[in-house]
Amino acid sequence: MPDTIDLEFSVNARATSIRIEPRETLAEVLRERLALTGTKVSCDAQVCGACTVLVDGLTVSACTFLAADADGREVRTVEGLAADGELSLLQQAFIDHAGFQCGFCTPGMLMAATALLEEDPDPSREAVIQGLEGNLCRCTGYAQIIDAVLAAASLREATR
Amino acid sequence: MIPRFSLVRSRTLAEAHDAFASGGGDTAWIAGGTELLQVMKMGYAQFDTLIDLKQIPDLHGVEERADGGLRIGAGTTHRTIERSPLVRRIVPALATLELGLANTRVRNTGTIGGNIAFAEPHSDPATFLLACGATIELASPVGRRVLTIGDFVLGPLWTAREADEIVVAIHVPPAGPGTGRAYEKIKFFERPAASVGVALTVRDGSIAEATVTAGSLTDVPTVVPAAVAALVGADADERSLDEPLRRATEAFGALEVGADHNGSADYKRHLATVLLGRAVRGAVSEALTHA
Repeated sequence: MPDTIDLEFSVNARATSIRIEPRETLAEVLRERLALTGTKVSCDAQVCGACTVLVDGLTVSACTFLAADADGREVRTVEGLAADGELSLLQQAFIDHAGFQCGFCTPGMLMAATALLEEDPDPSREAVIQGLEGNLCRCTGYAQIIDAVLAAASLREATR
Repeated sequence: MIPRFSLVRSRTLAEAHDAFASGGGDTAWIAGGTELLQVMKMGYAQFDTLIDLKQIPDLHGVEERADGGLRIGAGTTHRTIERSPLVRRIVPALATLELGLANTRVRNTGTIGGNIAFAEPHSDPATFLLACGATIELASPVGRRVLTIGDFVLGPLWTAREADEIVVAIHVPPAGPGTGRAYEKIKFFERPAASVGVALTVRDGSIAEATVTAGSLTDVPTVVPAAVAALVGADADERSLDEPLRRATEAFGALEVGADHNGSADYKRHLATVLLGRAVRGAVSEALTHA
């Protein structure tokens, strides 16, 4: 019988309890136990950013982050961005600016950009580029993604 | 999947050492996990027990030492160091280095102690901290010892750390009057392809002392004494540096550079010599503002 851990954490603002093995990654628990398959796993090596989620507001690679380390903490995934079925400003901006093609990198891009905008609500283009440097888009649609993040930032400023 | 293991979450160093003693030998320390979990996932390492060090308060935080240098807790994340006002004031080049390390996610979880202890030949911090004369503080169940980076890193993924020792802190000496420190790197992937660290002191208008280190080129971050010899005595102004830098560049030609996925040995050596020029000029300019 392997060791188990009773994990208690918040997932998209919902209190969640689940018994896990120490070796389970946050990506495995989100996708396979909690059916939150919005978080993608691609490189599985902390390079591509497809699995980006927020833990206590900071981006992490869920593929190489022990679920045990989320104990007592607040996890946010792409599923938590839309409030009551209404897309976030950032999500809408990705649609309006064609910020995705195949869409596989999109959840990670959205989470990385969400963290970026929470920290720096009015970033320069350079700051967006630096903030998303670790998120790869194989369709190479970077310009539209950066446009979308900047548009969301100015919309947020305008509605403030 | 990561191979199965038991997880012990320690709250103190004593608890961690006790867990190690009862772990039957097949144990490893874990902090951010950005290195360890990766090699376990790839099947290169497997342990019965991982002892988590993240929740040990003693391992966290950045402090100014009595001598004006820095003590950085080994469990401090790269992100915390990059944003620390103390680091920015005392070792600004380290804050810049951390800002450029891997990517934001790795910086949010990875720790400086883990980086040094893993001894990846492409480590950013090890190359720069070697130039700064930084030291590594280790705690065993019976006491502590302090090693220079040069004595600590013995080979690729190989250090002088005994199995029951925990890296607890990194100590960075202060930059004295007329001292400047710089780090330059180029990366195509997450880790640098080549990097250079420089610490030098300018006295009476010329370079009186220097340390030059090269990273990602050889098996371990390496001091390049011949480059130092070329620089010491040089006048510390823009134009006078050209000739000493040319000779320092030749010194890099003698390094036994290994080819890797970043490029051939000659190409990496070339990259390093360009970085050398930038790092020396950067360190000189910082030294002149500290005069």
